[in-house]
Amino acid sequence: MKSTYSSTRLSRPRSRFAMKAISGLCVGAMGLALAVVPAATQASASSKTNINFWFWGESDIPGITKWMTQRIALYEKANPGVAITVVPQSNTTIISSFTLASQSKSGGPDIDTQWATLPTLLPALQGDVTPISNYVPSSETKHWLNTNENTIAGKIYAMPLYLIGVPLVWNKKLFAKAGLNPNVGPKTWTQFLADCAALKKHGITPLGMGNQDGYFGAWMFAIYEKQLLNSVAQLTQGVANVGSSQAKLLSSLKTMYTMLSGLIKSGYVNSNVESLSLNQGWQLFPQSKAAMSFTTDGNALSWAKTVGEKNVGVTAPPVWGSGKLAATYDTTQSSDEFLASWSSNKAAAAKFLAFLHTPANMVALNKETGAFPADNRFPSSNITDPLAKALDKLDTAGTSVWLENDIPPQIDSNADLPAGQLITSGSGTPAAAVALWKQQLQKWQLEQPTQFQLFKKWATG
Amino acid sequence: MSSASAALDSDRPLAAAAQTPRVRRRRQWWPYGYMAPVLVVLGVVFGYSFVEVVHYSFYAGSIGSLVWVGTANYRELASDPQFIHSMFNNFKLLLTVPIVTVLALAIALMINTTFRGVRQYRAILFLPYILPATAMGLSFSYLLQGNGVLDNLLTTMHLRFLIHDWLGSPSWVMFSIGGVIVWQQLGFGVVVFSAALLAVPGETVEAARIDGASWWVVQRRILIPQIRRIIEFFVILQAIIVLSSVFTYVYVLTGGGPAYSSSVMEFYIYQNGFSNGSIGIASAGAVVLLAVSSVFIALYLWVRIRAAKEGR
Repeated sequence: MKSTYSSTRLSRPRSRFAMKAISGLCVGAMGLALAVVPAATQASASSKTNINFWFWGESDIPGITKWMTQRIALYEKANPGVAITVVPQSNTTIISSFTLASQSKSGGPDIDTQWATLPTLLPALQGDVTPISNYVPSSETKHWLNTNENTIAGKIYAMPLYLIGVPLVWNKKLFAKAGLNPNVGPKTWTQFLADCAALKKHGITPLGMGNQDGYFGAWMFAIYEKQLLNSVAQLTQGVANVGSSQAKLLSSLKTMYTMLSGLIKSGYVNSNVESLSLNQGWQLFPQSKAAMSFTTDGNALSWAKTVGEKNVGVTAPPVWGSGKLAATYDTTQSSDEFLASWSSNKAAAAKFLAFLHTPANMVALNKETGAFPADNRFPSSNITDPLAKALDKLDTAGTSVWLENDIPPQIDSNADLPAGQLITSGSGTPAAAVALWKQQLQKWQLEQPTQFQLFKKWATG
Repeated sequence: MSSASAALDSDRPLAAAAQTPRVRRRRQWWPYGYMAPVLVVLGVVFGYSFVEVVHYSFYAGSIGSLVWVGTANYRELASDPQFIHSMFNNFKLLLTVPIVTVLALAIALMINTTFRGVRQYRAILFLPYILPATAMGLSFSYLLQGNGVLDNLLTTMHLRFLIHDWLGSPSWVMFSIGGVIVWQQLGFGVVVFSAALLAVPGETVEAARIDGASWWVVQRRILIPQIRRIIEFFVILQAIIVLSSVFTYVYVLTGGGPAYSSSVMEFYIYQNGFSNGSIGIASAGAVVLLAVSSVFIALYLWVRIRAAKEGR
């Protein structure tokens, strides 16, 4: 009987040759495609300057993404050789995405958005950010506000776009329902606690916030830890473990977390604070499910459209601490735009950023979003809305410090955020929150020795 | 037959072989040529990546500013309460394996019959498995948040004593994540067991029924033993999944919170490697995760080899 193997088609020389020929052609075609396609893409790409812009801002200023898209369209129309691609960033990816891109130093953004000061300056100290003042003349940058938040040795590393304050907003209708004066917001901590007690007595949630992502706790750190300090250096040197400053910092943190724990245990914050993100928790206010909230200027103006502007009051956060910084407000540029050091389009990117600061664009930013442009050429007389005027008055009244800007991102995400969650979830004590800070400060020093040394050098001037 | 002729007969095959020239099979190299591209890709993707991860685990800092620290990262992991807690959370999630297995088996046995709509039932049961994890996580985050849909439903049903902050309470968060895992993996288990049950010879069941076996006896004594190997494979596969593929659930539902209470090993690695840029400690965590998963992978291979041997 003939072997089945000898009868298969592949055993015939002609068919074997055909298979080899077809396979060789396929491999050759694939290789050709791999060679040609990138070259073709490069050919088409090289005809335009492509700027990759990683942008964040909607959480601060509702509507700013739309404003940015419109500015880009205008710029591209005036500069046909430039194409700008916006990649929206989220709260949870804004830092990690750039950290990742900076490690490979290829791809990623030409322009990145980061939160101000250390989230921008630590990458700058590591060589991942080129000062924008290298490309934009001082005749322009002198008009930008709050550039001190991103300046090292006279070099401005990032461009501010807007300024936001962090007021306490209150619902006048709910205040009246609780028997409180609807036109007077709490200025001192005693008044604040009394208002909370009255609201709770009438079945109204006093403070509506969200801490599933850790940001309510982080905001309480920024606002109220600050009020225990006499200078920002007390924080930065404590983080850098200079002398006995860290022990003092940890002691003040325990005091702050004890205050926060008291608020939670008294039932003055919505009971589901730990399962709502900051943005979700904020929705309680415009839904009239909470009487007060710490929020941004942009949100306050947006909520006024829902609740009714005459029903919204704004004031500075009640004073609780007795440090010198308790007298400061909480205005910050919040986020900034900078040039990635490995970008091959830095000059073009800087030119676009400077375009955003033209008076026409700044006026449009305020008109369309209510945001206060970080530019002294923007006339305050343009602000006609009474609520916006009140917010602008708070923002420009005196000195401002947003303390969260001055801690390294790793400490912010690994200590600041979870420590607050320990308190708001009721699963930890103030002592446990402070122990977490201490453990994470030590961990950061071990895991990022170079970054720690750069930070220490910056913190000690 | 004489012994001489017998001896001659027995020598015949040898003689025949001595006369026939040996046919040497030419070694075929062409199949290796087809395999080469895949082997190169696997070598680069898995082999190179593995070597680099182990390499980085002995350094601290971010890429571009690495500092040699030897085994310090591993010592730090051993004393890091967040990593230890993350590992225990993975082990806690192993409790979902028997739950998914028993539920999936029970449902597969119940629908292992022909009735109207059985295919539609199977499709509906399988649907959660094919849903994108992100969309599912977002939906459950609204469902399970404090005063969310589930709590409101419990209030309507006068079951207020069952209300909890399912995602915001460290005591309940892992149960909530485990529940979501069970919900999604259940469909996969039903399909796997249903396919195995369909392969069981019908005559065996018929014979048992003729002998007077009840439904329960048929399930317990006939069907389940017949698909024992499939059950073993499924259990080990699910164990590997909860050890090394639950990142999406944690990331979307809780972000590892509150205060690391729902962190798992993958999330710890992600947070340290990607959020913090601490590639060294993240790589060390990845090596530990691989070591733990390898125990179950080895178990899986042992079960397969044993099954293959028993099948011969």
